[in-house]
Amino acid sequence: SCEVLACAKDCGLGAYVSIMAASISGYTFSSVCYHSANSNSDHEGFLLGEVRQEETLSISDSHIGSSELLNVIEVHNHEPCAQLFSFYDYAGNVNEENLNRILKDRRKNVIGWYRFRRNTQQQMSFREQVIHKQLTHILGIPDLVFLLFSFISTANSSTHALEYVLFRPNRNYNQRISLSIPNLGNTSQQEYKVSSVPNTSKNYTSVIKEHGTEFFDKDGVMKDIRAIFQVYSALQERVQAVCCEVDQSERVREKIQEEVNKLKEEIALRKRNSAEEERRLQEAAAVTLPDNSALPDSSPSSLTRVVLSGPSVEPSLERPVNSSSPPVYSTTLPPDSPSAILLPRPQAVGSPGHPSPSLGLGNGDGSSSDSLNRQAIGQEDPEDGDDDDEDSSEYENLVSEQSQAPSLTETVTLGRPATLWPDGDAHSPPGS
Amino acid sequence: MNSLSPEVALSRISPELRPLLCSVVRNGRVGLDSSSCLRITDLKSGCTSLMPGPCCDRFKLHIPYAGETLKWDIIFNAKDPELPPDFIFGEDADFLPEPSELPHLVSWDAGKPECLLQLVKELLQQYHQYQCQRLRDSSRLLFEYGSLLEDPNYGRSMEIYAGRKNSWTGEFSARFLLRLPVDFSNIPVYLLKDTALDPGEDVALLSVSFEDAEATQVFPKLYLSPSIEHALGGSSALHIPAFPSGGCLIDYVPQVCQLLTNKVQYVIQGYHKRREYIAAFLSHFGMGVVEYDAVGFTKLTLLLMWKDFCFLVHVDLPLYFPRDQPTLTFQSIYHFTSSGQLYSQVQKSYPYSPRWDGNEMAKRPHLIAGEQSLS
Repeated sequence: SCEVLACAKDCGLGAYVSIMAASISGYTFSSVCYHSANSNSDHEGFLLGEVRQEETLSISDSHIGSSELLNVIEVHNHEPCAQLFSFYDYAGNVNEENLNRILKDRRKNVIGWYRFRRNTQQQMSFREQVIHKQLTHILGIPDLVFLLFSFISTANSSTHALEYVLFRPNRNYNQRISLSIPNLGNTSQQEYKVSSVPNTSKNYTSVIKEHGTEFFDKDGVMKDIRAIFQVYSALQERVQAVCCEVDQSERVREKIQEEVNKLKEEIALRKRNSAEEERRLQEAAAVTLPDNSALPDSSPSSLTRVVLSGPSVEPSLERPVNSSSPPVYSTTLPPDSPSAILLPRPQAVGSPGHPSPSLGLGNGDGSSSDSLNRQAIGQEDPEDGDDDDEDSSEYENLVSEQSQAPSLTETVTLGRPATLWPDGDAHSPPGS
Repeated sequence: MNSLSPEVALSRISPELRPLLCSVVRNGRVGLDSSSCLRITDLKSGCTSLMPGPCCDRFKLHIPYAGETLKWDIIFNAKDPELPPDFIFGEDADFLPEPSELPHLVSWDAGKPECLLQLVKELLQQYHQYQCQRLRDSSRLLFEYGSLLEDPNYGRSMEIYAGRKNSWTGEFSARFLLRLPVDFSNIPVYLLKDTALDPGEDVALLSVSFEDAEATQVFPKLYLSPSIEHALGGSSALHIPAFPSGGCLIDYVPQVCQLLTNKVQYVIQGYHKRREYIAAFLSHFGMGVVEYDAVGFTKLTLLLMWKDFCFLVHVDLPLYFPRDQPTLTFQSIYHFTSSGQLYSQVQKSYPYSPRWDGNEMAKRPHLIAGEQSLS
């Protein structure tokens, strides 16, 4: 890490790694505390772990990226010293031989050292500073850290406080670093966090190796994750397929819609022509037979009614996409099967009240608004998850409608298969 | 701050560390100002709370230095009493002495009770060096220091405290504490014996505070050990001239020194003169002497007769005799005042000259006495 640091300095990448974060795993911390609290005098030892650099690139609108180098120290383990003055003498001179005897092959993992002393200030002492300078030099770690524990007890021993401060004394400023211990704190509100500090215990590694094959595949990835990923991929595929189908059916529907519109126009035209003729005939007849006008004939009146209602309906070819008026299925139903209309339609919570079927009959001229409504609602399905109840109820009706009058509804129901049925499958209507 | 009496401190400290602390607490005088001794506060223990007492092994030591009080934490370990202590130098976080300069640390011997005291003295020397280094921030004060250092009279007994630079104003202050090389050895012993306090070493310290780096605000102060102060006539002896603006220590300090020396001379002279005076009176009046102060020679009582008229003469000799005139009190042995006291009359203004020797002075009162008795 020394080379990396030097490189960072030369490149002029921000300040010379000025920010530092440190973390220690809960078990290492408690282990150090245990050793320290049980000693009847001051206690010291070494901190083993690793230092890594994290570079964060922050991009904002105000300036083009700025990169920040963060030096992260992770304490994996500790090596306690059995007694004081075990690797230094009265003058604070460090004896490298003794040091190596204590550290053995873990010397390369040293990132700092710690000391525990009761009832003293949170400040490095004279000897600690002397030793630290020498350790920095001997171990060749420019940013060697020093963790100081102080244990303060009240006079009646009722309250004890363990305070810890991590120093980096080789700096002139910002000498104190905050040490984070994952999950030490109030975790009732938060989740249990996984520490990034790895477990370097040999026992742990061997157990995991032994039993790992049940959980991990050959790449070291958890099997469950792979299975879940497969499910996810399958779902994605299906969604893609459904999207294609929707696309196709939409095109078909559009074509049909155009045909329907054309047909409607023709019908309307014909009606107008026939109405004109009728009127002329009537006028001619009225001139000859004026006393027949009092006859109540339902058909001309109904025709009039139809005529009157026709123009009012025609212009409303617009699609009220979110109309509150519920769709009426009467347009697709032949007038001779009123039972289909009277099928109980389960009301979804919050759905607007449905009009009585009679209204539908009144519009038996095949006015487009109802079918349009239905189409609109049918189209909204894939996106509108909340309307599930309402939609499903409609589909139930549609099923029943189709079963009753497949012939008339054939052209229209071609559009239906695109909608997703409640059971998740895209059925084709029984008719086609 | 809960300062503990030496006995209490010693009773609470771990038994193995007691001898070390004993010498510090009982005999501990470090530095120039040896009148105030080292104090111990905040005795704490480094052992677990299960350890039965007394087991205190760490404390704060208050050391007077250059008019300030240094508060150093000293940390022992009761479990390993043979090991040398560790130190935290209070607010002076930059102070880091070189261990090789501390012989009593390198060859620490817990068996020697005065080891800790010696170590503290060595540390104090290093601290002094450290403070002198800090003077480099001000060339003016560095010059003052340098010039004093060269003078053998003052160079070796100097304590300097270079105050923290005020980060807002950039002000730098320093205090020089100097021991004045005034010889107090000839002061008559009786003068020094009268103090209630343990006199200790007789010392005169001059403290000069520089409140700014340009030496425009300088406040000198003289400190005398209690016995000297008493011997020289109380707090009036502490008046020294103000520091001349633009002046420097190397001129001022000898001035103060001279002043003090003169005062001491006066006192010594006075003593001898008084002695001479009384000797002369004794020789003159012989049997007429009732009593006299044979230690300090400050008083003399004579019984004189003038034409069958007997009366007493009390002579009070002031401290700065012969500069100051003795007071004569004539007292009748026959007559009483209305309050029941013997009738007396004080005579302060009579022909007198400090330049007369003892004999001359003895003769003169003869005549005065005669005149007085008639009245």
